[in-house]
Amino acid sequence: MFKYLNPKRFYHAAGKKHFWEFLILAGFLLFFYGPLLNMIMMAFANKYEVPAVLPQEWGFKWWEFVFSQQSLVSSIVQSLLVAVITTACSMLLCIPAAYALARFKFPGRKVFMLSFLLTNAFPKLGIYTSIGILFYKYNLMGTLLGVVIIHMINSMMFMVWLPASAFRSVHRQQEEAARDVGAGPLRTFFKVSLPMAMPGIAVATLYTFLGSMEEAQGTMLVGLARIKTMPVEMYGIILDYPGQAGAVFAILLVIPAAVLIFAMRKYIGPEAIAGGFKMK
Amino acid sequence: MNKETKRKLIAYLLVLPAFLTVMAVVAIPIFTALKTSFTDPDTGGFTLSNYGYFFTTPNELKNLGFTLYVVVVTVVLAIIIAYLLALYLRFIKSPISRAIGSLYLLPRFIPSLVAVYAMITIIRDSGLLNRISQLFGGDFKPGLMYQASGMILMNMWFNVPFAALMITAGLGAIPDSMIESARDVGASKLQVFRSIILPLSFKDVVIASTFVFMSNVGSFTTPYLMGGNFPKMLGISLFDQFNKYLRYERAAALSVIMFLICSVSAGVYIYTNLKEKEWEK
Repeated sequence: MFKYLNPKRFYHAAGKKHFWEFLILAGFLLFFYGPLLNMIMMAFANKYEVPAVLPQEWGFKWWEFVFSQQSLVSSIVQSLLVAVITTACSMLLCIPAAYALARFKFPGRKVFMLSFLLTNAFPKLGIYTSIGILFYKYNLMGTLLGVVIIHMINSMMFMVWLPASAFRSVHRQQEEAARDVGAGPLRTFFKVSLPMAMPGIAVATLYTFLGSMEEAQGTMLVGLARIKTMPVEMYGIILDYPGQAGAVFAILLVIPAAVLIFAMRKYIGPEAIAGGFKMK
Repeated sequence: MNKETKRKLIAYLLVLPAFLTVMAVVAIPIFTALKTSFTDPDTGGFTLSNYGYFFTTPNELKNLGFTLYVVVVTVVLAIIIAYLLALYLRFIKSPISRAIGSLYLLPRFIPSLVAVYAMITIIRDSGLLNRISQLFGGDFKPGLMYQASGMILMNMWFNVPFAALMITAGLGAIPDSMIESARDVGASKLQVFRSIILPLSFKDVVIASTFVFMSNVGSFTTPYLMGGNFPKMLGISLFDQFNKYLRYERAAALSVIMFLICSVSAGVYIYTNLKEKEWEK
């Protein structure tokens, strides 16, 4: 086994082509997954001081600490609540619009598509700050609705562009065939168009939900410490507590992402995701 | 009412709720910000001094230059690395490339705060790299924290997978038969790349660069946790104007300046998207 640790030997054993591929894989894993794995390790360290590479003492001390903090536990509930409401509202508003954009031709269609680019081109903080002024006027500061609106700003572009590109890839003939055998427009939509556009919609939903789970800046500004989601708490933890507490909390923050990605893995592919960035 | 009008009416009814929401929560706030940026904080009258501040104060000019430097280096590096990765994923079929092909989708879904935090545990002066070097008797300090280089490294983590994904999707649309036929009539690999692969994937490169550019001009999490005190990224500068100095007019002006910077790349993006329409019809 150890003889493969000698690069020269490994080079000849694996062959030239495989050698480079292994090198790419190693670099890739170290850079993209190394930090995450190191963080997971830290979360299970009771004691982890310089210069130890592996923790001096393993254990669940920091997990107990995090779960004993009332504010941290309530932030988890808060985060999930906001994310679910945001995703539901966003779907309800955007999926009909996406369908219309994909299937109908009407004046102003491009302007509408472009208006979503605005949310990406204008600095978010700029939008948040001036929306704050509006929110004060309508008493939305520090309310759940206010935070949900802020989170929706981030997700609407994906929620329209991705399903729109998915609906466009459903063949019109398939819908027409369903209509021909007597299905009404709504039934055709729910039985034919929607299931076939599911990959795009699934990825958009995933984006919206996870985007809402990680939004911190706008929530801090608009939530006024009354609505504290997990990432908002996380900023505090990073600054105030030892590294391990942050690592534990970071893992808690990643769990929803991991679960959802696993559940939707068959929908997640380069094509489905890339569709969300193309305006057609 | 004829059928065509009816269809249009339905389309507008479907689009309207989302459109009005975007108007209310995005367009109106942007418009208010624009108005605020020209308002004098003391007299409430019209002024250009909010903009003038950012173009005459040496420190603010340095922040602007620093931001552009970080963003441009990020875009160029990310696109080059992503293109190579995408070529590898598209043209080399092996278990390893398939594994990378599914693993590189994940970083897109990791909360940015978590990713930055994880990277810090590696590259800070008491981080993993330093600890490993101490194992071998050295004392290697990466010197990446609070530097442009550290932020650029972090930006690679976020943007390389994203750009590679966009380019892979584009490369995947190039049929194998096209490349094979070019090879059959004697085109070299380089010729195939220059005259088939590059032009056909150019649009995706533009789209990827646009979004990498825009997301980095206003980036906040990475510079907030990894950046130094000076020079700082515009996202932090904006946050400070708003949160620390309570200069709302200046914050609004800076938002508009950042928007204009983004508009340049958004313009390129729209141009490529609309140009393509002509022959796709």
